[in-house]
Amino acid sequence: MDRRYAFDGIKVADFAWVGVGPITAKYLADHGATVVRVESRARPDILRQAPPWTDGEPGLNRSQFFASFNTSKHGITLDLSKPRARELARKLVAWADVVIESFTPKAMRNWGLDYDNLRTINPELIMLSTCQQGQTGPHALYPGFGNLMASLTGFYHISGWPDRDPAPPYGAYTDFIAPRFGATVLMAALDYRRRTGKGQYIDMAQYEAALHFLSPALLNYQVNGRVLNRDGNRSFRSAPHGVYRCQGEDRWLAISVSSDAQWQGLIRALGKPSWGSEARFSTQTLRLEHAPALDELLTAWAAEQEAEAAADRLQQAGVPAGVVQNCLDLHQDPRLAAWGMFQYLDHQEMGPSPYEGHQFHLSKTPGALRWPAPVMGQHNAYVFGEILGLSEQEVARLIEEQVIY
Amino acid sequence: MTTSASNGPLPNALMAGYRVLDLSDEKGMLCGKMLADMGAEVIKVEPPGGEAARTLPPFYHDEADPEKSLFWFAYNAGKKGITLDLTNADGRAVFQALVAASDFVIETFPVGYLDKLGLGYEALAQCNPRIILTSITPFGDTEAGRGQQADDLIAWATGGGMAIMGEKDRGPARINLLQSYFHASAEAAVGSMTAHYPRELSGQGQHVVVNMQACVVWTLMNEQAFPILHGNSVERNGVFAGSEGMRQRLVFACKDGYITLLVAGGPLTPSLKAFLDWMDEKGMAPQWMLDKDWTEWGPATFMNARGDEVQREIDAIESAITAFLKTMTKAEIYAGALERRILLAPVATVADITASEQLAARNFFVPVEHEDLGATIPYPGPFAKLSRTPLSIAGRAPHIGEHNTEMYTGLLGYSRQQLARLRAVGAI
Repeated sequence: MDRRYAFDGIKVADFAWVGVGPITAKYLADHGATVVRVESRARPDILRQAPPWTDGEPGLNRSQFFASFNTSKHGITLDLSKPRARELARKLVAWADVVIESFTPKAMRNWGLDYDNLRTINPELIMLSTCQQGQTGPHALYPGFGNLMASLTGFYHISGWPDRDPAPPYGAYTDFIAPRFGATVLMAALDYRRRTGKGQYIDMAQYEAALHFLSPALLNYQVNGRVLNRDGNRSFRSAPHGVYRCQGEDRWLAISVSSDAQWQGLIRALGKPSWGSEARFSTQTLRLEHAPALDELLTAWAAEQEAEAAADRLQQAGVPAGVVQNCLDLHQDPRLAAWGMFQYLDHQEMGPSPYEGHQFHLSKTPGALRWPAPVMGQHNAYVFGEILGLSEQEVARLIEEQVIY
Repeated sequence: MTTSASNGPLPNALMAGYRVLDLSDEKGMLCGKMLADMGAEVIKVEPPGGEAARTLPPFYHDEADPEKSLFWFAYNAGKKGITLDLTNADGRAVFQALVAASDFVIETFPVGYLDKLGLGYEALAQCNPRIILTSITPFGDTEAGRGQQADDLIAWATGGGMAIMGEKDRGPARINLLQSYFHASAEAAVGSMTAHYPRELSGQGQHVVVNMQACVVWTLMNEQAFPILHGNSVERNGVFAGSEGMRQRLVFACKDGYITLLVAGGPLTPSLKAFLDWMDEKGMAPQWMLDKDWTEWGPATFMNARGDEVQREIDAIESAITAFLKTMTKAEIYAGALERRILLAPVATVADITASEQLAARNFFVPVEHEDLGATIPYPGPFAKLSRTPLSIAGRAPHIGEHNTEMYTGLLGYSRQQLARLRAVGAI
């Protein structure tokens, strides 16, 4: 049987908002599932209210932040504070294979849309709830966002230099960790259901998922009592290992040498400077010991270099090296271009806008950014009419009553 | 045959019955770990003598020993381990027999390496059309990307993560723990599962290629779109947010460390008001801060605000907040914030995380027995809680070749003589 997309025929009701939930649902949408994203004007997704906006002008339908995480989805509006809207939500759940939501834990319960209620409508349902710290425990109801989670999970503490305040990773870092776990387990649950006919409830705490990116440091503390700290760009096994300023405005070259072969490549690419044959740099352990001296020598060398040309030369010599690319550089990078990392989709209000492509490619059932993110309520007619079977008059009345809102 | 402390995967596990051959080094080991947590039988295939990733620090009791790497433990728990030399024709034949009996292969070799060995996707599909081959690569498998090398630093640099992290004067920085490998590994798990679902319907496996640089780009939170849509870029500024000379602190010192707090009103006004009330209770809130109309001082306001006067106000707000926070520890501040529903977080260390009452209440850390070390070590537990098919760690990471006999005689049915011959020629 030929399948165009991996999840053709799978139906998802996406009640999630902000980052983790919508990104998790996007994996399914970009791979063929019919994903209905439920929103409301009464409580717009905060990403619709955050930049970057087309032409820098705010507007609920102008945020690329929102658009990027909601490709290939059908957008509907429902004000879930109204009983009739909750009835329609239940109809949508009866249609769906999967429900995803990312509110603080009590919200779905208050609406009667928690798993125990929904499974009575749809016994085979798979439901994924994701929130900051999980559905249970003393901190379950404490709200938050990804920046705070990146701090709580330890990533702030290990970023920057030991003699200074932390230099944290940009943005809501853990929002880009948790969906990888959420999508993996959700897809496995779909296959389990295919085999057994049984659905289930999944509670994914963004806190717990993200800590798997810190496991060795957690074990080191458990076993040896040692705390991992920030340490600039030092490495425990590579030297030189750092960024070196080149010619031009804020241009930096990253170099990492982990073996004798890479070291010889580096020295060759640098035109065999005299220090390249010094005894103190002759083995990897010696280079680690003399890392500060290597940094000084490479800093002096790099100051005369053009970053891109130097990176190419080092790569050709077999040395892991690359330009510290800013966001404009990313759009010029031939490797990312060949991969299809940036794709312009023509959004109804925003016009052609830069979306990120995928991070993995499939040889037989490739995914795609099937269409740009919906504007508010873009697919109301299709979803309420075609999927839920409401008449045009009924939809019009519900819009007027601000149920569909 | 040595036996591990493993109780094996739960019988009712999510991925019970699927077998994974994990050829990956540190760039990919988390992928197989995730599949193992879901109950798949994951077999770590190492070269004779053991995988080089076994030399990664930190080590159990600081003893540098290939059987004591905590990095190795963390990402290979729950897997089985065999040795096999793929550079040897006998070894390759054994590998093909394993592929015929497996569902997934995960690898992190240089692009094209397996093809050169005659073990590329097409060759593996001939052994087993159902097989899914997941390749984790630095820059993808295109002409432009396939020849280039990257470790974590280079992926983080070329993926755009470093340009917006670090200090103006000292330059870009990375996170101090191989993050790009973990992003690529976890994404490889998504890719593998995306191929798995249609495979179970069609009987056809496929090749999944993960791009580590692309995985880093995805973490930038749309920063790539700013120069195109806004005509400006995010600036690297250490502990501060802001651009064009404006500086707003994201992190504040307290008595024993740091706190992350976004000082903004607008939609965050209730949280900020609660914080100011707390300062006021301690007599540390300046009257002008209590009187200020914060509803107009949203996160976006700051981003667009310019000028010395605004900056002076920001600085004054920040020094009042710092003075208040300096009177308390991270734990005291966080406890107070939870009670008052103030949005902030400690800049947590692994010690703080280990002591978290929330993680304790959810039994996040799970004991894994290391009978060989006479120790039980608490590991980070399930990455999600499932009502029907809970995730679990089946046991500690394997020793070098620990499951050779089980796999080669049990699974593949080799006789003792065949096994001895394979050992003699160095294949296993």
